Amino acid sequence: MRPKKINKIRMRETLVSYAFLAPALLFFLGFVLVPMGMGVVTSLFRYNMKGMTFVGLSNYIAMFQDPVWQKSLVNTLFLVVGSVPLTVFFSLFVAALTYEKHPVTRSFFRCVFFLPVVTGTVAVTVVWKWIYDPLNGILNWMLKSMNLIQRNIMWTGDKKYALWAILIILITTSVGQPIILYIASLGNVPKDYVEAAQVDGANDLQVFWRIKWPSLLPTTLYIVVITTINSFQCFSLIQLLTSGGPNYRTTTIMYYLYETAFKRFEYGFANAMGVVLALIIGAISFVQFKALGGDVEY
Amino acid sequence: MLRNMGKIVSSGLVMAIAVSALAGCGGGQKAESTTAAPAAESTTAAPAASDSKETEAAGTDSSGGGVEITWWAFPTYAQDGDNPAGTYEQEIIDAFQAKNPDITVKLETIDFTSGPEKITAAIEAGTVCDVLFDAPGRIISYAQNGKLVALDDMFTDDFVKDVDNEALLNSCKSGDSYYMYPISTAAFCMAVSKNALEDAGAMDCINLEGDRTWTTEKFEEMMQKLYDAGYMGATVYCSGQGGDQGIRAFVTNLYDSSVTDNAVTTYTINDEGGVKAMTKIKEWVDAGWMLNGSAYNGGEDVDQFVAGNTAFTTLWSPGLASQRAETLSENGIEAIALPFPSEDGVPAMEYLVNGFCVFDNGDAARAEASKKFIYFMCNDEEWGPKNVVKTSVFPVRQSMGDLYPGDEEMKFYASLTKYYSPYYNTIPGFAEMRTYWFPMLQAVINGDSEPQAALDDFVAKANQSIENAK
Repeated sequence: MRPKKINKIRMRETLVSYAFLAPALLFFLGFVLVPMGMGVVTSLFRYNMKGMTFVGLSNYIAMFQDPVWQKSLVNTLFLVVGSVPLTVFFSLFVAALTYEKHPVTRSFFRCVFFLPVVTGTVAVTVVWKWIYDPLNGILNWMLKSMNLIQRNIMWTGDKKYALWAILIILITTSVGQPIILYIASLGNVPKDYVEAAQVDGANDLQVFWRIKWPSLLPTTLYIVVITTINSFQCFSLIQLLTSGGPNYRTTTIMYYLYETAFKRFEYGFANAMGVVLALIIGAISFVQFKALGGDVEY
Repeated sequence: MLRNMGKIVSSGLVMAIAVSALAGCGGGQKAESTTAAPAAESTTAAPAASDSKETEAAGTDSSGGGVEITWWAFPTYAQDGDNPAGTYEQEIIDAFQAKNPDITVKLETIDFTSGPEKITAAIEAGTVCDVLFDAPGRIISYAQNGKLVALDDMFTDDFVKDVDNEALLNSCKSGDSYYMYPISTAAFCMAVSKNALEDAGAMDCINLEGDRTWTTEKFEEMMQKLYDAGYMGATVYCSGQGGDQGIRAFVTNLYDSSVTDNAVTTYTINDEGGVKAMTKIKEWVDAGWMLNGSAYNGGEDVDQFVAGNTAFTTLWSPGLASQRAETLSENGIEAIALPFPSEDGVPAMEYLVNGFCVFDNGDAARAEASKKFIYFMCNDEEWGPKNVVKTSVFPVRQSMGDLYPGDEEMKFYASLTKYYSPYYNTIPGFAEMRTYWFPMLQAVINGDSEPQAALDDFVAKANQSIENAK
């Protein structure tokens, strides 16, 4: 076949491929890229219901000086730092214990841990609200029954416990997917490598760190990045459970953004927060890719 | 031939995918409408088309011979039996459409949790409804931002004379124009459990005569007796945002403070009375007489009261009494409504005003149809009084007379109107102020701030919100 003819066929195939991609691309443009661009632009305006006035970087300056935003940033980082390692370790632990079990047992555990993921956030939060209820909650009842506490604790209203209470829910709703991924990944580790290492005298710990862990790195990278992003975007739990209280102790950047936009109608200021949050997430994800992606074998 | 056919098929496939995806997107909003309105069968010509910009609200279409408007309804009306939300509202619409076949009203029910955000988003997207039934707090804030149609022509001399309440009429205004057409009003108050009080021997602390006014001293005595008998007083609820007016009125009444000055131009709750009240509340929470309510919102505080877990609530109204009557009865609790206690025994009540507004969607025909619909809901001989009774409050028009003849409890609620305090919910920046109120309360009862410092900080931020809104 002549090269000109081949090029024509390739060109046609390329065009058809792009045409198939076009609908998704249009959605991506319309619902992701364009809103992102608009968010960046409007963050430079004093934008509220009355209209828009260009203010340059004033929103950003005001945001960095805002004590509530500073509190929100600290709270958000607390949730990220708390949830990501715990999610990874707990998921790995559960997966390691269950992946070689009988398929029925394995499915049972997968189902148990995945249940909070497939259950709606609102339903999960309502259940946790009952658990944490200061007057009638089962948690207080259990702890009092075991003589661990004398008086009821206001888990989501007490400044000492509120953020921890949120962190626990965040972890329980985050571990489902990682457990499933780790079980699948562990099942895919070649048995020959493990057996060869055992023949060479490696103990269980050495087998895990030298053989299995490197094979799990691509999965771990994905889990770390996704859990980090989800933790940074923690919103519905806060809105439904604490509304950011007590005294901004559980306000996250996402919740403060929502409050600024929808309760104070300061859209420009809220967009500035969104832009900074996106930059923070982007930077941390970049670092995670650099740190964990180097040894990843795809 | 076959090659060409392949090209046609693949091109057609791509087009089909693209079109179906886009069509799916466009159809989303239509599907959101919770209740399909019956098609207008009118042959009456629609009012003359407006020459203003043609902005279309969600799911509305003013073309085709009739006018179609959308009404977003919060769950304000009580539904009969187990009817789902929106059933009664649809009955109103059906009655209106029977009399006005050239106007079609589409109903969408919204809730108090996500509804306000939906309205805000829809305003910015240009897809907001035509008619909204709400209170001045939000409505006047929309008016201040230029989003509403002025309703001055509906405030005729006869109507103003019939209402005959300057404070109430002012609550419907922004600047010199009216933007909310009021239908009903009632005072916010508190309620105590008769069962708990009798058990604690605290019935002598409250006054059941006349307007049931009482003092802070008696209130404190009641709480001590309740505590001694093993009852939890009430929650100082301060989570979320709903019901904030109840706890604000409770704070201001205790030692005769006020949220704003009488002219409603500046916040003043950091005065001596306000600080004393916050100090006392903190003491009561620490003593276990009241519960730190940082984990409870207003609705949950009422839930605890009707469940019998707390002995009183600072969030009550005739509407709530009606909505919770069945649960109270099931739990065997008798609620007694009371005005808030105050140092001098003369309460200053905050109150609810229910009313309608019309969003400016750039279509004069829809605006006129919306006004007609509002007028029907408020003033129709049959539906006007019925709509007031369905919210268990009182008509703003005196000519409607007593809608609850022989009901002593409603007579008490009606008596509270004489204690109405200046209405500050229309102050510029009110919505922003509300975001500072509960964090301030949380800071005090959790020991993060001293009452004076917390109130000073709140007032500074609240006064700044007035400037921000200008």
